[in-house]
Amino acid sequence: MTSRAVTFSKVEKTYKRPRLLGAAYHTAVQDLSFDIPAGEITGLLGLNGAGKTTIMKLITGLLFPTAGSLKVFGLPPSGQPAKAKVGFLPELPYFPPQVKPGAALAYYGRLSGLSGKDLSLAVAAALERTGLEPHAHKRVAEFSKGMLQRLGLAQALLHRPDLLVLDEPVSGLDPLAIHDIRKLLAGLNAEGRTIFLSSHSISEVEKLCGRVLIMVRGRLAKTVSRAEWEAAPGGLEAIFVEAVK
Amino acid sequence: MKNWLPLTWAVAANSFGESVRHRFFTLFSVFAFTAIYASVLAGVMAVDEEARVLADLGLALMELTTLAYVLFQASSSLLKEAETKTIYLVFSRPVPRWIYLAGKMGGVMLTAAFMLAVMSCMHLALLYFRGFALPAAYGWALAGSFCKLAVITAFAFFVSLFSTSSVSTLVISGILWTLGHFVSETRFMAEHAYGIKAVLLKAVIWLIPNLQLFNARDAAGAAAAIAPAAFLAGAAWILAAYLASLWLLARKEF
Repeated sequence: MTSRAVTFSKVEKTYKRPRLLGAAYHTAVQDLSFDIPAGEITGLLGLNGAGKTTIMKLITGLLFPTAGSLKVFGLPPSGQPAKAKVGFLPELPYFPPQVKPGAALAYYGRLSGLSGKDLSLAVAAALERTGLEPHAHKRVAEFSKGMLQRLGLAQALLHRPDLLVLDEPVSGLDPLAIHDIRKLLAGLNAEGRTIFLSSHSISEVEKLCGRVLIMVRGRLAKTVSRAEWEAAPGGLEAIFVEAVK
Repeated sequence: MKNWLPLTWAVAANSFGESVRHRFFTLFSVFAFTAIYASVLAGVMAVDEEARVLADLGLALMELTTLAYVLFQASSSLLKEAETKTIYLVFSRPVPRWIYLAGKMGGVMLTAAFMLAVMSCMHLALLYFRGFALPAAYGWALAGSFCKLAVITAFAFFVSLFSTSSVSTLVISGILWTLGHFVSETRFMAEHAYGIKAVLLKAVIWLIPNLQLFNARDAAGAAAAIAPAAFLAGAAWILAAYLASLWLLARKEF
């Protein structure tokens, strides 16, 4: 495995919105160059519209860069080999309300290439790991927001990916659920998995991450290491406010 | 890609499961059963032709009910997955888009086959209780209906990839379905037209699938099998719609 999980090199993403006459263009991220070191937890901070979700979608191959190059473990992100190494939790994941969590996970497990005994074991392990085992008999419709987020995390963990890309993993959760998810992510990182997460919660990022990227209007404004924000007066929050002002 | 078959089956089975669990499916089922049962009334009014009316009306109702439901599913399937972001969980995995598309189309076609099978059981039971034998070419009529539905499903998927809403997909596919039943008339008009009008009509004949090929009970004696060429034409139309859809889907970002 390369020591870089993700490499962005002068990446630009411009969205084209068709109009009645011609099209409108909006550049979401530009001139973006950074690395995500393997085995670390890297955070992504920025105001709304800064380009955080675009970056997540570029890494997971849901979007294609307009310019520049992007590699995931040295591979193109839209290819199947790179995708097999990535687990993705989008913001507010949706699951059909009438299914049980085991059935939902089994479907995504099959899509990740699991079958038979491996699939059953992976589903059981993901349910246990995310604390959903006691709720396995319930339908998704009965799940709280925190439980849905755990289920989202469980589907991302099914195929034991090397890189976890998490878009707002603690958004809208109660303090206990946040605590549990933080503990789970720390445990996954201790196993050697790379975690890349975006958040609006500076305190959460501060607690979990070893390094933080701050995005401002589609550009990388600052890369801050834990040592830097721990030494700075006002911590990460002060650095973030300074960067986005 | 050695595991393409289990992957396609996983997507198709999931799509089928979602189709039959949808609340509209129950509504359509109730409507279909009521409509087929109501065809008894029309049959009674037909006096001497009760068996034929009961068989033809039942088959037509089955086809139209299934058409309405599969068009609804085909037009909203990809759109709904994109709106709910479920597609993120699929395309962030090692699932090639050609497999996903084949699975989605396969799931809707399975739904069509399932609906036709269930409704035909009810229809045949009704005919049996009225004391009539199995109508001529009944199996061929069902096979023809399924072929038509499979062709229109593939086209609806294609349209859904560039249309702005599921309603516009429904409308465009509905128009195509209607035009597909008037290809002979269009051909007649093309043969008697001149200039640009003739060129346009001939182009339309090439672009629109000839769904009349699958009307088994329209044939003389109402007992003719569907020609193998019709099945080949159906397969070619489905493949063309699938490849055109894939061309659009491969370029689509989510």
